[in-house]
Amino acid sequence: MERIIELQNVWKTYFLGEIKLEVLKGVTLEVEKQDFALILGPSGSGKSTLLNMVSCLDVPTSGKIILEGKDVSKLSEDDLAVVRGKKIGFVFQQFNLLTHLTALENVIIPTIFQGTPKEERERRAKDLLVSVGLEKRVNHRPAELSGGERQRVAIARSLANNPEIIVADEPTGNVDSKTGQVIMDILKDLNKEGRTVIVVTHDTDLQRFANKVVKIKDGEIDDR
Amino acid sequence: MTGEYFKIALKNLKSRSLRSWLTILGIVIGIFLVISLLSLSEGLKQSVMGELQMMGGDMIVILPGDTGDMITTMMGGVELDDRDIEAIRRADGVEVVVEMPFSAAIVRHFQDTETTFIYGVDFNEALPILRHDMGWEIVDGDYPRPGRREVMVGNLVPKDVFEDLLPGDSVVIKGKEFTVAGVLRSLGNREDDLSIALDLQDYRSITGKREGTPVAMAKIEDGHDPETVVGNIERELEDSAIRRRDEERPSFTVMTSETVTDMVENIMGVLQAAVIAFASIAIIVGGIGIMNTMYTSVKERTKEIGILKAVGAKKKHIVSIFLFEAGIIGLVGGVGGVVLGVGLAIAAEMVLAGSGMMFYLEAYISIWLILFGLTFSFVVGCLSGYLPAKQAAKLEPVDALRYE
Repeated sequence: MERIIELQNVWKTYFLGEIKLEVLKGVTLEVEKQDFALILGPSGSGKSTLLNMVSCLDVPTSGKIILEGKDVSKLSEDDLAVVRGKKIGFVFQQFNLLTHLTALENVIIPTIFQGTPKEERERRAKDLLVSVGLEKRVNHRPAELSGGERQRVAIARSLANNPEIIVADEPTGNVDSKTGQVIMDILKDLNKEGRTVIVVTHDTDLQRFANKVVKIKDGEIDDR
Repeated sequence: MTGEYFKIALKNLKSRSLRSWLTILGIVIGIFLVISLLSLSEGLKQSVMGELQMMGGDMIVILPGDTGDMITTMMGGVELDDRDIEAIRRADGVEVVVEMPFSAAIVRHFQDTETTFIYGVDFNEALPILRHDMGWEIVDGDYPRPGRREVMVGNLVPKDVFEDLLPGDSVVIKGKEFTVAGVLRSLGNREDDLSIALDLQDYRSITGKREGTPVAMAKIEDGHDPETVVGNIERELEDSAIRRRDEERPSFTVMTSETVTDMVENIMGVLQAAVIAFASIAIIVGGIGIMNTMYTSVKERTKEIGILKAVGAKKKHIVSIFLFEAGIIGLVGGVGGVVLGVGLAIAAEMVLAGSGMMFYLEAYISIWLILFGLTFSFVVGCLSGYLPAKQAAKLEPVDALRYE
């Protein structure tokens, strides 16, 4: 299989005043195309920081991140924004929808930054909402939706620019277990369609969806 | 694509409508002041300058008293007497001296009796000067002839004083009958346009005042330098005062029409500068309001900015959204300010016209003033929004997303 993301000896160090905080200590990791990868770790393990690296939200203090054969670890913030916009779809634990916009508008937002033509944007956003079963909720605002519905809007949004990679941060963390199952099924379907899915969680139950599990502890990959 | 950021900005503003409107109000007040004050002061300037421009370049104005206490002199009824007029006439370079004494009088036209202004002007000597150098013109009827008990009337007399008055009608002024020869074109101020002009001799005889005029004008002979003639007149007036051994030597103000125009222009310039300064302060305060709102907004929407960045927004996209928000606040404020400002200017114009003020005041509302108001408000909005927008764009996506 072809490698899509590769982390080579990635370090991330934060400075809190005088205190040096090493959150990632030489993480090396590979994700292949069409993987369903699970990054598993307790809170404080550095898994969120690792997710930020994998999803190009942040750059490492040292080490390399290779995305589709290209080193992205030294890119400027704007260049990273382009990479994120085109190649990566985000699903957050807190849903992170824009509260004053409707479900449809939320799904359209990422396509605006890519300059997608207006008709195509709307058609695509509607199709995506239909595909996650929200055809009746298109013009509702997040406040009028249940937690599961919000997360489905978020999934639809993550697909707006047809990215190859879906990155989900505790996607089931804020919904009940039944809804969590639905969310994971949707992600699994997306994986079957050929997308690479990377899920960060502390929930060991989710391992059954993944074909690759990376455990992280104290900023290092736990190989045991 | 710019349109999309505009729409996003508009939605953001709507989602915080009370605060947006309050901020807009700050700009409305500033632009309202600029538009109303500028249009009224420009109108005032136009009307005063228009009146002055009727006076040709080779006229000299002589007033009793110093320039410093002009108002006191005029209100107090200090006048130039015949000896002063003679002194002016003697000055080298003076061709004709025009006197124009005026007073209020009861005038009857058929059954109608009204009080209005009458003034005396020498039809023989002075009227041609007024016609050629000051643009006086009869628009209905004929020029009055001296010695025929004829009068000419201001253009408002047939409208506001005696309706249906026509040339050829007779009017009775202080018991004497006169024939209306013609109606003058507007002289640029309400008082003059409501007045009736008599030949100087007739004026003197019906008022019983043998001499005196609150103001005199001297026409300069061809080939003389106006400033030299001003000096000559001043010297003659002074000599005459010395000869009379007046106990308190009267002072005079002698100015060329150009000096008068310059003086008025200066006063108007200062007035307008003051207006602009005060209105600018109001707009700056409005701009600070926008900045405050936008900074608060950036702080509150940190997470939202993080989300936008996560889904692919570049710095310039974030900047555009925030700049549009600030610009829209500015522009909407500008539109409101222009509407209110124009409204007030028109209302003021109507109130002043109705109150019968001495001069005409037309609010001078040019398309440029309106465009200036709108552009200015938009620019102030964008400038005020620039720093907050920069701050928003600078946020790191990871930090912004973590913000609660």
